[in-house]
Amino acid sequence: MSSSNQTTVIVRTVVRSVVPIIILVAIGLLLQGHNFPGGGFIGGVLTVTAFALVYITYGAEYLSQYLLGLTDGSVARRETQDVLDPDTAFFSGTVGRYSAVFGIGLALAVGGGLGAVAFGEPFLSQAVLYFDHIPVFGVIELASALVFDLGVYFVVVGSLLTILAVVGNE
Amino acid sequence: MQPDSAILLAVLAIPFIGAALAPLVHRVLGERTAYYAATIAALCSGLLISQYGRWGTVTVEWIPALDVSLVLYLDGLAFLIGLLASGIGVLVFIYSGGYMHGEPGQAKYYTTLLVFMGSMLGVALVVDLLSLFVFWELTSVASFLLIGHYQRADRSLYAARKAMFITVTGGLFMLIGFLLLGHVSSFVLDGTTFTLIGTEQSLIGIPGQVTHAEAIRHALIEKGLFVPAIGLIAIGAATKSAQIPFHIWLPDAMEAPTPVSAFLHSATMVKAGVYLIGRFRPLFVPEHVFAAEVWTWLFVGLGLATMTIAAMLAVSATDIKELLAYSTASHLGLIVAGFGFAETVGAETGAFHILNHAAFKATLFLVAGIIAHEAGTRSIDALGGLRHDMPIVAAITAVASLSMAGIPPFNGFYSKELLFDAAWETAHHFGGLAWLLPVVAVFGSIFTFLYSIRFLWLFFGDRPTELGEIHRPPVAMLLPAGVLAIVVLVLSLGAAPIAHDFVNPIVKSSLIAPAEGYHFSAHLPHSLKPPVLMSVVTIVGGIATYPFYDRLHHGIRRLRSVALLAPNQYYDRAITGIAHVSDVVPRYVQTDLMRTYAAVVMSAVSAFALGGYLLGGTGTDLTEAVTGVNLALPITIILAVAVIGALAVDRAPSHIVGVLTLSILGFTVAVFYVLASAPDLALTQLVIETLVLVLFLLVLDRLPAFYGELRRRRAVLDGVIAAAVGLTVTITVLVTTAADPSDGIAHYFVEKAPVPTEHGTLITDAGGGNNIVNVILVDFRALDTMGEISVVAMAALAILTLIGMRNRGERA
Repeated sequence: MSSSNQTTVIVRTVVRSVVPIIILVAIGLLLQGHNFPGGGFIGGVLTVTAFALVYITYGAEYLSQYLLGLTDGSVARRETQDVLDPDTAFFSGTVGRYSAVFGIGLALAVGGGLGAVAFGEPFLSQAVLYFDHIPVFGVIELASALVFDLGVYFVVVGSLLTILAVVGNE
Repeated sequence: MQPDSAILLAVLAIPFIGAALAPLVHRVLGERTAYYAATIAALCSGLLISQYGRWGTVTVEWIPALDVSLVLYLDGLAFLIGLLASGIGVLVFIYSGGYMHGEPGQAKYYTTLLVFMGSMLGVALVVDLLSLFVFWELTSVASFLLIGHYQRADRSLYAARKAMFITVTGGLFMLIGFLLLGHVSSFVLDGTTFTLIGTEQSLIGIPGQVTHAEAIRHALIEKGLFVPAIGLIAIGAATKSAQIPFHIWLPDAMEAPTPVSAFLHSATMVKAGVYLIGRFRPLFVPEHVFAAEVWTWLFVGLGLATMTIAAMLAVSATDIKELLAYSTASHLGLIVAGFGFAETVGAETGAFHILNHAAFKATLFLVAGIIAHEAGTRSIDALGGLRHDMPIVAAITAVASLSMAGIPPFNGFYSKELLFDAAWETAHHFGGLAWLLPVVAVFGSIFTFLYSIRFLWLFFGDRPTELGEIHRPPVAMLLPAGVLAIVVLVLSLGAAPIAHDFVNPIVKSSLIAPAEGYHFSAHLPHSLKPPVLMSVVTIVGGIATYPFYDRLHHGIRRLRSVALLAPNQYYDRAITGIAHVSDVVPRYVQTDLMRTYAAVVMSAVSAFALGGYLLGGTGTDLTEAVTGVNLALPITIILAVAVIGALAVDRAPSHIVGVLTLSILGFTVAVFYVLASAPDLALTQLVIETLVLVLFLLVLDRLPAFYGELRRRRAVLDGVIAAAVGLTVTITVLVTTAADPSDGIAHYFVEKAPVPTEHGTLITDAGGGNNIVNVILVDFRALDTMGEISVVAMAALAILTLIGMRNRGERA
C-alpha cells in the first residue's frame, strides 16, 4: 500500500515528531510496570501503535527498510514472494523478521521461567534483588519478572507487527 | 525383586530417541538405516530381557503437584508383549533391509516403525490407564502412517483411513470405559485412581498381597456401570484386535509393505487388544467360577464367532496376504475366546496362543513377503510348486503352517488343545446351549486347518508354467524367517521345560490368584480325553474336506457378495454418509459472511450463559443486585456519554463516522476505568482503542463508503441477538459483582505483592512490586500469562500461514 502519496504534510510532520515520544513512553511503561501502571502488554501495544502510524503515513517499505533497517531494497521489493516462498519460510524476509521477534519473546519468557528451575524453584518463580541507600538513585530494584515482562513485550510487538505486515500486504 | 526403574524407562525412551534421530541417520547410512533400527530394537529387547524375572512396579514421579506419576509394571504378560515388540522388531528391521531395497520414503518408514515400537512397549509396560490410552492411540497413528506408506496409491489411502478410523474410534470408547473405572475407584479406594495394577491404590491391587478387584466389581455393579465398563473396553479391544464386525480393516491394511504387516498386523499391534483383555481379566474374572458374569459370554461369543467367520473368510481369500490377514483375525478370536473362559485353562489358552501365534504368523508373513518379492505376485491361483525354487523357505513354511493348522507336535496344537479343553469343560458344566461352544470351536478349527494347508500347498503341487524365473531370497530376508521358524520349533518341543517356565508367568498375569503351586505345562496327550478327540475330528474333518477346497472357496465368496452380510458395505455407506453431512453443513455454517459467524457465536454464548443461570441459579437476588448498584455522579455522566456514543454508531451514515463514534464508546470506557481507580485497565483500554482506530484507518479506504440496503427481517434478527448479548453481559456483571467471594485471595495479593517492610537484599517470597496487577501477571499467575502470550503468538502464526502462505499448497 503506497499511502505515502496520499498523506498530507501535516500528518507526516506530526507523525515524525510523535512517534519517538510514543516509543519512549512505551518503553517507560514497560520498565516501570512493576511498581506503577504499565507493563509488557501495554508497552508492546503502544510500540506497535507507533509503528502502525509510520506504516500508514510512510508505507510498509519505509518502515521495514529505512526505519528498522531490516532489509535492503531488493529484498523489500520481493517481500510478498518471501512470505509465499517455501524455501524462505517463516524466519526470513521482513515478515519473517517480525515473526522472529515473537519467537524471541516466547523464548525469553520461557527462559526466564526456566531460570527459576535452575535454582530448584518451581517453573516461573520470580525473585527481586533490592538495594537500599544507593547514591543518586536511592533505591534500586532488580526484578527477575522484568525478563518475563520483556518476553511479553516482544511477543506482543512481534505478533502484532506480523499481523499488520501480512494483512497490510493484501 | 523389583525391576530397575532406569532400565525400564530406558526401554521406553530409546525407541523414541532413535526415531527422532532416524532421519539424520538415514542421510548418512541410506538404506542401511535398517540395521541402525535393528540395533535399537536389539538394545531394547536386551534391556528388557535383563529384567526378566524381576516382576514388579516402578513408579516415576512426573508432576508431583498434580499427583501424576508414570507407573510401569513388569510381569509375564507385559514382558511377553514387550519382547514381541522389540524382539520381532529386530527381525523385521533386518528383513526390511532386504525388502525395502529401492523403495521410496525410507526415512519416514524407519522413523514411524521405531515410534510404533516405542508406543507398543509403552502399551505393554504402562499400567496407568490414561498413559496406556495415549500409547494405544499412538500405535494406531503409527499404523495409519505405515499402511499409507505408498501415499500415491488410492487403495493404500483408503486402507490407512479405514484402519485409523476404526481403531482410533474404538480407542475412544475404551477411554470412556477407563474413565468409568476411574470414577468408580473413588468409592473403593482413597481417591480416584487410573492405575490398573501393581500399587497399593490400584484397581486390581498387588497380586498376592492386596486385592481390590472384588470391591471394584461390586462398586461397578452397584452403580450400574458393570456392563458399560466391560462393553466399552471390549469395543476398544475388539477394534484393535480385528474382532467381528470390526475385522474389516485388517485385510485392507495389507496394503502396507509386508514387513509392516508381519510386525504390526500380526505380531504386535493387533495383540494390543488381546493384551488388554488379558490384563483386565484379573479385574473382572473372580477366582473359582466357571463363568464370570458378562465377561465370559461376551468374550467367548465374540472370540469364537471371530475365529470361525474369519477362518471361513480366509478360505475364500485369493491373495496370500489377504489369507494371512483373515487368519490373523481368526487366531486373535481364539485368544479372545481363551481369555473369556473363566477357568485357569482359559488364561493358559490366551497367554500361550499369543506367543505361539506371534511366532508362526510372523514367520508366514515374512514368507509371504519373500514370495511376493521374488515371484512378483501374491495371487494364490498363480502360485504353486515353489519348493523347487526356494527349498529353505518351503521348510520354514512347513513348520509354521503345520503349527497354524494345529497339528501335533507343533506348538499351535497345544494352545488349540487348551481351547478345546476350556470349551469342553464349560459345556460340560453348564450343559444345554453351552454345548455349542465345543462344536463351534471344532468347526472353526477345520477351516483353520484348510487354509493352513492351502498356504503350505503354494510350495507343493505343480508349478504353473506362466510363473517366471524366481530368485533365491536375500539373506537379510531369509534369516529372520528362519530364526522365527526355529522359535516355533523350540516352542513345539512340548515337554521342553524352557517353554513351560517361560509361559508360566504369562499365564499367572491373567489370573487373579493362581492356585497354590500352580505351574503351566502342556504335553502331548497320553489318553483319549474329549479335547484330544476334538483335535482328531478337526484333523480328519480337514483332510476329508480339503479336496473340496475350491468349492468351499467359491461358495464363501458367493456368500460374501451378499450385500447385507458384508460389514464393508456398512462401513462404506457410513463414511459416504458422514462425508455427505460434512458437505451440507458448511453451506449453512461456513457462509463466508462475518455476520453469520458473529450471530452464531454470540447467540450460542448467550444461550449457554443464560441457560446456565436458569438451570443452576445465580446464587444472588437479581433485583437486590440491581437496586444495590450505586453510581457516583462522574461515572454516571461518563456512562451516559458512552450510551450516546453507542446510539450514534447506529445512526452513522458512513464507515468513517461509524468507526469514529465507536471509538467514543471505547474511550469513555477507558475514562470509566480511571474513575473506578483501575489505571492499568484504563491504560490497556486506551492503547488498544488507539491501535484499533489506527488499524481501522488502514483498511478504511478499501471498504465501500456506504452501507447497503437494510433488510427489515435481518435487522430485527440482529437486534434480538444484540439485545440477548446485552442482557447476558448485564446479568453476568451483576451476578459476579454481587456475589461475595472470600477475600482471602485479595488479601494475599495485597500483602504479598509489594516489597515487605522487613526484607533482605534478595526477596523470593513476595512479588516486590507496588503494581499488584502487574505482579499478578508476571509473578503469581505467570503461567496464565505465558498461556496468553502463546495464544497471541499462535494468532500471528495462524494469520501468517493462512493468509501469507495460502498459495503454497497449490504451488507444490
